[in-house]
Amino acid sequence: MTAVHQFVPTLAPHDAVSTHYLAVRSALREAGYRSEIYAHEVKPELRRQGRHYRAYKGARADEPTWLCYHSSVGSPVAEFVLERPEPLLLDYHNITPAEFFVRWEPFVAGRLSLGRRQLAKLAPRARLGLADSGYNAQELTSFGCGRTAVVPIMLDVASLERDADPAVVARLDAVRQRGGRNWLFVGRIAPNKAQHDVVKAFGAYRRFFDPRAELHLVGGSSSHRYLTALRDFAGALGLGGAVHLTGPVPDEQLSAYYRHSDVMVVCSEHEGFCLPLLEAMHAGLPVVAYAAAAVPETLGDAGLLLDTKDACTVAVAVARVLRDDRLRRHLVDAGRRRLADFDIRRSRELLLDAIVATVGPP
Amino acid sequence: MTDDAVDITKVRAEIAAEVRARRAAGEYPPAFERELDELFARFAPMEVSESLEAALERSEDAAGIDPEIPVASNNPVLGIVKRVLARLLGWYHVFVAQQVTAAAVAVNHVLRRVVEKITDLERVTGDAARARESLARVAPARDDESWETLVVSALRDVRGRVLVGECGDGRVLAALAAAGIDAYGVEPRAELADVALAKGLEVRLDDVPGHLGGVAAGGLAAVVLRGCVERLSPGELVSLADLVTSAVAPGGRVVVTSTSPSAWGRDRHAIEADLAPGRPLHPQTWAHLLAERGFPDVEITPVGGDALPPVPSDRPEATVLNANLARISDALFGPDAYVVVATRDR
Repeated sequence: MTAVHQFVPTLAPHDAVSTHYLAVRSALREAGYRSEIYAHEVKPELRRQGRHYRAYKGARADEPTWLCYHSSVGSPVAEFVLERPEPLLLDYHNITPAEFFVRWEPFVAGRLSLGRRQLAKLAPRARLGLADSGYNAQELTSFGCGRTAVVPIMLDVASLERDADPAVVARLDAVRQRGGRNWLFVGRIAPNKAQHDVVKAFGAYRRFFDPRAELHLVGGSSSHRYLTALRDFAGALGLGGAVHLTGPVPDEQLSAYYRHSDVMVVCSEHEGFCLPLLEAMHAGLPVVAYAAAAVPETLGDAGLLLDTKDACTVAVAVARVLRDDRLRRHLVDAGRRRLADFDIRRSRELLLDAIVATVGPP
Repeated sequence: MTDDAVDITKVRAEIAAEVRARRAAGEYPPAFERELDELFARFAPMEVSESLEAALERSEDAAGIDPEIPVASNNPVLGIVKRVLARLLGWYHVFVAQQVTAAAVAVNHVLRRVVEKITDLERVTGDAARARESLARVAPARDDESWETLVVSALRDVRGRVLVGECGDGRVLAALAAAGIDAYGVEPRAELADVALAKGLEVRLDDVPGHLGGVAAGGLAAVVLRGCVERLSPGELVSLADLVTSAVAPGGRVVVTSTSPSAWGRDRHAIEADLAPGRPLHPQTWAHLLAERGFPDVEITPVGGDALPPVPSDRPEATVLNANLARISDALFGPDAYVVVATRDR
């Protein structure tokens, strides 16, 4: 039997990349490979699913063994893998360029820089680079990876079918009953996601179109300073009561936000994939997005892509989507079709095709 | 039911047109977006690149590690545990903090010496950054009318987004829009961008290389380069050629409008010429740069110039005289400017 073991920085619950690791392991095991997950940090909820990377004792004498490193941030696991003699596979989930964080969180910037330096050492050694988008595959190639394959992140759409939290639903519906619309952005509060540009566009929309509109920025924070600046900025614009920074929310609340908002607005400067776009497509929520990094690739024709994020242009685009029923229906239908491209069965096939072609049969 | 009749490209064009119309009607103040940017900047930490001295000071401030162990807690029991641990481990914490501080201070000391040496060097060789700052305050010499017709004619058959960088007060941009071309502008000088915005034109306040760096590969049907091509250094111009190559789609077009090197520095260009880090390239250089990047079809059109009048051709020595007059004309009063039109391979 051949073994393909995954090495990851962190294995955590409610985390899209960790869900991907577990799905990859299932796919590998079902295909007949032996597969374990080794991590620098295994959160208590998942302690049965992964082991500390130092617990890895090396390949068995009678078993061809490959290591698959998942790169998303600087980690001591990368240095460990680099010193191992086993052949290497690399699964790249993108590392945010450090310059987005330098002035906000220098410590985070340092970890991101480290991640990219490690990637520069890992990529030329990898026999195969897996990437969840063509954008990431291109980055891998630029780091010297000779062979790449695009395998979208393993998203089980069924896992998005959750009951919507009634309290959040009531709050969002109350805004509509007052004649306002609900804007939504889902993702960590981080400078590369440029939530401040969403707030600017929202400010323009409130001023020129809909003074009763509200904006919900849903997600934990990667930068306390950026979060504080965002809150102060919204306050200075007089939007303090209309911009809601929810922090991380349970699945039921997230489901409520997706299903009961009117539009998802994305102004990110850098995204390696942008999973919330798929979640919005699943919920039938129209998307208006700035065409940067991997966003155009993930969104395809399932959203209104803009080549600028000037506040007025984004505001007019949102107003158009909200007043033009035909356009909104078109975007929602296109979203449902696009979502089929990310079907987990298709992603599994792509993954196993790439693995078998490189590693050989189990 | 899917509605295939919705044309998203058309929707985007209609959105851009609505923004332009609202700006032209005065509904959207020209400086609205800039004021939002400035307001957010008040809450954001200073850009590291904004000031070397400020960044160095911040680094020096951060070098001092606080040896005081935090013991506050919302939980009284945890507070007691923290105080006990602080008392037990305080000596070790101070020991580590002192070492980290010493290392950080040593690194900052080296950085400070390096900055001083760079400052000395700049004093001797001329501070390029200060020259650029002065240049940014100089009203640029614009002669849009001389190449407006040529630019419009070069782009008349183009389908898709066209970027005009730098667009100045929007004269060429307006002419392109009047010809039905889907054009927008980039202008780094706020006072000029505001004039163009007030005309209802679509203009981004940005510098051209910075803007092109953010454009998706193949995202534009054509790029018109002006202004910046006269002032950037040769290295920056080569990078600019790379950026337009990435931004322009196969079959797309690049139009470079520039003052001639021989006319640069004459009359109204004098201050720009003296302060700019670079100078205009010869049109042949643009043709070379673009040809080697996949634009094989390049056309150069000279613009303006005061040629010496030829002597009457019935005089016996006219042929020799006129040939020499043409050479003198070219050397002394050659074309003021040129337009290079290059079309990319499909």
